[in-house]
Amino acid sequence: MREINRRDFLKLASMGAGAAAITRFIPGTWLSGQSESVLPNVLIFVFDAMSARNLSLYGYHRHTTPNLERFAERAIVYHQHRSAGNFTSPGTASLLTGMYPWTHRAINQAGLVARRLQDRNIFRLFGREYHRLAYAQNVWADFILGQFKAEIDRILPPHAFSLVDSMIGARLGGSPAVYRAFDEFLFKDGTPPASLVFSLVDRVQTHRRVARTPSKDYYEGLPRVGDYPIFFKLRDVYDGLIETIEALTAPYLAYLHLWSPHDPYKPSNVFIGVFTDHWRPAIKPNHRLGTDIPNGRLIGKRKNYDELIANVDAEFGRLMDELVGKGLLQNTYIVVTSDHGELLERGVEGHITPLLYEPVTQVPLLISTLGQQKRQDVHSPTNSIQLLPSLLHAAGRTVPEWSAGEYLPGMGGEEDYERSTFAVEAKDNRAYSPLKKATVAMYKGTYKLIYYIGYEKEDAFELYDLENDYEELTDLYPARPAVLKSMQAELLEAFETANKMTTL
Amino acid sequence: LAIFSRIPRWEKIASVYAVIVLMIYGWTILWFFWKLPSWLYFLTVWEILSALSFSLATNFVESLLVLSALLLACIILPRKWFYDVFVARGCALAISSLGYMMLLANQFQLKMDYPGVWLAWTPAVLAIIVLISVIVSSVPFMRKALEALADRLTVFLFISLPLSVFAVISAAFQLLS
Repeated sequence: MREINRRDFLKLASMGAGAAAITRFIPGTWLSGQSESVLPNVLIFVFDAMSARNLSLYGYHRHTTPNLERFAERAIVYHQHRSAGNFTSPGTASLLTGMYPWTHRAINQAGLVARRLQDRNIFRLFGREYHRLAYAQNVWADFILGQFKAEIDRILPPHAFSLVDSMIGARLGGSPAVYRAFDEFLFKDGTPPASLVFSLVDRVQTHRRVARTPSKDYYEGLPRVGDYPIFFKLRDVYDGLIETIEALTAPYLAYLHLWSPHDPYKPSNVFIGVFTDHWRPAIKPNHRLGTDIPNGRLIGKRKNYDELIANVDAEFGRLMDELVGKGLLQNTYIVVTSDHGELLERGVEGHITPLLYEPVTQVPLLISTLGQQKRQDVHSPTNSIQLLPSLLHAAGRTVPEWSAGEYLPGMGGEEDYERSTFAVEAKDNRAYSPLKKATVAMYKGTYKLIYYIGYEKEDAFELYDLENDYEELTDLYPARPAVLKSMQAELLEAFETANKMTTL
Repeated sequence: LAIFSRIPRWEKIASVYAVIVLMIYGWTILWFFWKLPSWLYFLTVWEILSALSFSLATNFVESLLVLSALLLACIILPRKWFYDVFVARGCALAISSLGYMMLLANQFQLKMDYPGVWLAWTPAVLAIIVLISVIVSSVPFMRKALEALADRLTVFLFISLPLSVFAVISAAFQLLS
C-alpha cells in the first residue's frame, strides 16, 4: 500500500473541506432521507376544528388555503381522511394513541384516556432516543398531554404564546387534578366560579389586562381559547412556534396543536372580508337530533370561519417559508391534520353535536415525507388512528400489537377501498360503561353508514354514497339492502366488541 | 403590645369565622355538587377527591383572608365601632359583602362579560354594606340574633377545620410530588 505523502494529504484535506462546503449550500430537501442511519424528525401540526370541506386544497369554492396547496406539492395528500372523533377530546386522543374513542374512552367533554391505557401513546413509543415536545393551545388537548407527561421531555402550556392569560393549573405544575380544580372549577368561565373571593379578583384583573392590551389588528377583539382566559394574536403564536422549532434538538417528535381555526372565528383585520362573493352553500335539511340555527346565521359564520382558515393558512405558509429557508426541516416528516372538523349547516353550528356528517369528520391530512419532491394523492378512506402506526413505521420504531390502525398509503400501506374505518361520538356516556347513547359512522369504499344509538325509541341508520352524493343529501337507507346488510352487521359487531372493554 | 389587646377573644373570632366558612365553603360545595354528575362520567373517585382537596385548600386561604380583613378593621377602628360589637358587626359585614360577591359571581360568568354597572356601583354598594352592618348590629334584637346564629354555626368549624388541614396537606403533597 502506497504511503500518503504531504501532497496527497493536502489534496484529500481540500477535497474534504470542499465537500463539506458544498453540502452546506445544497437545499435540505435534496439531502434529506439519504442518511439512513440518522433518525428522522417528526413534526405534527394539528389545526383544531379545521374541516377538509372548507379547504380549497380539497376543492372548496373559496380560495382559503393557497399555502397548504403549495405545501401539498411535495406531500402525500389524503382526500378521504376522517377523524375518529367529532370534538377535541376523542379526536386528539385517537391521534395520539392510535385507538378509536370506544377503546381509549376520552369520549366526554374535557375527558381523558382510560387510565389503564394511558401508556399507549405516541410519545412513549418514539422513546427516549427522541426529544419529545408537545404543545396544545386547546386546554382539553392539554389535559390529555398531561396524562402522557412522563413520556414527554417538554410540554409547553396552552398559554405559552399568549398576550394575556390567567391560567392557574399550568402554573401550578399542570397536572390534570390541578387543572380540573382551578381552571375547570374554581375559576371556570361560563358558569359562576366556585371560588368566591379569588375568582372575582382574577376576573377583574384579567379584564383590565385585556382592555389595556393593544389589539388594533383585531377589530373584533383578541382571539380567545374558548372559555379559558387565554388571549392571543395568531402571529405571535406562529412566531413562538418558529422559535420553538428552531431550538429543537434532532431527532425530535414535536406535536403542535393549535387552537385556530376553532371558534370564535376571529381573523386578523387583513382577512376580514377577503371573501366578498355572494356564494351560498347547498341548503340541507335540519336534522331531528341537531339544533335549529337559522341558515342566514350559519352562512355568516361560515364566511368568518373561511376567513380564519385563510388567516391560519397564511401564518402556516410564513412558518414553513421561514423554517425551510433556514434549512431546519431536513430529515423531517411534516404532518398537517386536524382533530375534527366543523359543521355549519343543517341548523348546527360547531362540533358539539351528535351528528357525524362529513364537514365534522372529514379533516385534512398531508404528510411531507423525507426528500419528497412530488405530490401524491391518496383517495381511499383513511382514519386518524392510522397516523400513529404509520409514523412509527416511518421512523423505524416498533409498532405495538394493540395499534388498531394500519399503515397509511404512502407510509408503508397500500390504498384499500374495502377497509372499514369509524368515527365515534359518545359524549353522553360514562367513560367506564358500555355505550348506550352514541353515533357511529362507518366508512367502507364509497359508502358511509351512520348509526344512531339510544337517542330515540328505536335506533336509526342513514346510508350515503359519498362518491355520487358529496353533500350527503340522499339517504339510501334502506334502498341498498346488499350494501346495507354487510355494513350493518360489521358495524354492530365492532360496536359490541368495543362495549365489552369498559373499565377506566 | 397594645395591639394584641384589640384582638377579640378566640370564641368571638371563631363565631365570625364560622359565618365566613359557611358562606365561602358553602358556595364552593354547592357548585361542586352541580359539577359532580359531569365529573362522575369520566373521572375516578380519587381524581374528584383530589380536585376537591385543592378547592377546600383554596377556600381555607380565602376564609382566612376575609377573617384577617375583619380583624384588621377591629385593630384599626375605634373600640366602640368594632371591637365591642365584633361578632354582630363582623357577621353582618361578612354576610353582606360575601353575599354581594355571590351576586357578582352570578352576573360575572364570563371574564369578558364585564358587569360594568355592578362594578361601577361597588363604592356605593360598599357604603350600603357598611351602613347596613352598622344599623343591624346596633339594633339589640338583630345583634342578638346575629350573635346567636354565629354561635350555633361554630359547630361547622369542627368539620371544616380538620377537612381544610387535610386538604392543605393533600394539595401540598400533590403539588410537590
